[in-house]
Amino acid sequence: MRRGLFVASSLSAALAGCGRVTNALNENAGVKGVIDSAERLDHFAIGTRGMAKIYPDSEIDYQFPTNGLPTPTSEAPYARVLKDGFANYELPVGGLVDHPQTFSLRALQALTSIAETTRHDCVEGWSVIGKWAGVPMARILAMVGPKPNARYVMFYSFDRDEQGTPFYGSIDLHQAVHPQTQLALKLNGKPIDADHGGPVRLRIPTQLAYKSTKWVQRIELVSSFKGIYGGQGGYWEDNGYEWYAGI
Amino acid sequence: MGPMDVAAPGRSRARTADEAHGPVVKRHNAVVRATHWLTALAMLVLVMSGLAIFNAAPYLDASDQNNPARRVLAIESDTSGATPVGTLTIFGHTIKTTGLLGYTDDGTGQPAERAFPGWITFPAEQDLAGARRWHFFFGWTLLIVGLIYFISGIVRKDLALIVLRPSDIPKMWPMQAYYLKLRKEPPPHGKYNPLQKAGYTGLLFVLVPFLILTGAALSPGIDAFAGPLTALLGGRQFARLWHFAAMLALIAFTFGHVGLVISTGFFNNMRSMLLGTYRPSKYEGPGP
Repeated sequence: MRRGLFVASSLSAALAGCGRVTNALNENAGVKGVIDSAERLDHFAIGTRGMAKIYPDSEIDYQFPTNGLPTPTSEAPYARVLKDGFANYELPVGGLVDHPQTFSLRALQALTSIAETTRHDCVEGWSVIGKWAGVPMARILAMVGPKPNARYVMFYSFDRDEQGTPFYGSIDLHQAVHPQTQLALKLNGKPIDADHGGPVRLRIPTQLAYKSTKWVQRIELVSSFKGIYGGQGGYWEDNGYEWYAGI
Repeated sequence: MGPMDVAAPGRSRARTADEAHGPVVKRHNAVVRATHWLTALAMLVLVMSGLAIFNAAPYLDASDQNNPARRVLAIESDTSGATPVGTLTIFGHTIKTTGLLGYTDDGTGQPAERAFPGWITFPAEQDLAGARRWHFFFGWTLLIVGLIYFISGIVRKDLALIVLRPSDIPKMWPMQAYYLKLRKEPPPHGKYNPLQKAGYTGLLFVLVPFLILTGAALSPGIDAFAGPLTALLGGRQFARLWHFAAMLALIAFTFGHVGLVISTGFFNNMRSMLLGTYRPSKYEGPGP
């Protein structure tokens, strides 16, 4: 009995030691620098090629779960647009563009030309099929005219996390002009509700859903995101997730 | 190694037969040895980081739609009672697994609602972003090291020695009978015996490619240009079940592999994969 206890306790000590080693490796900046380099290979080898699969409408899952940060109902700027059913929502698109513009919700609705039933893949491992309708990002970019030095499109959200850190995300121009990358206004035939990122969210079906910024407040074209917030190109990226989320 | 090995009591027949005959020969070249150990390391980290990624959604559905009605496996916890409980539900049967699965060590020594415990995941602490990065780094490592192994084996013409041939099939049962001590001698064979060939052919040409393909099928970026592959696996969501099942098969292979390395002459086998030299049994010829 005593021997069994000794074996059990030394085994659990060994296992705890194993855990300390993996945690230490994961937190070592030098080791992580090497491990994180695989993202460049992912981006190079997979990139943004081809078209995300279109599903028949019969496969739509009407129980679309919500995930990520909570709905920003307590954020004053969002509460203002939410109050009158998004009627006064406006989306400024600026930065490194020739013709900065502000789009009203009505203007965005008039530009809507894409409605595709695609899969929304959460990084956690589950997915859900929905029909997203909205404005192709390529259309917006054609209207504002990116300057030659513009490389990334930044999406700033109305949302903040519990610590008050603003939510934002970014994609490069190549990903932005992909014909399936859209500013979504409708989900399954209805205007996107507050919990699913309404009135306007990004939808990029060739990458994981954490790239699809909800509650878009402002769009800005930049040459680099190094100086913006955590410098990794997005809220989740600042928290360790890959900027390239096609895998 | 000396006569002591042969005379030592309690030794299994398989062990003495494999160790005691013939001169020491070269068995595995440096590329085979290096790629073997790099693959072993990559697979270890891939399995551990894969379990850490699985922890973020600890269930598998035989469905492309996250359909709970077709759930084949779920690891859950219930903290509503006085003592928290961890459970494993597999094909509708639920067993209590508190401490092992569902309610386990969170990677810092504290019990928590967590599917696989910290000691078996990489990293031990819950860090989906980190686990994904380790997984993809070693996924690339496995792919590149595997290609080096195959190219080297083709160029040096020794890969063919490990491939199962039709003429090996009638020798598989006699070899199994020898392992089960139902037969005194194994059938004569080449560098690898018929069961080794069957096992390694399955690993190299079926299981590892399947692991890589089912993993790739989970990627929305790859799906966008390799749709037929994903469709073949039942879809991007369904492929998660195949990827997990293939991982279980890999673990089963590894247990068999390590068990046989130990039971068929541990030092001789380890020497062949560390230094490259080996003392073959009298039943082993140089050919395929």
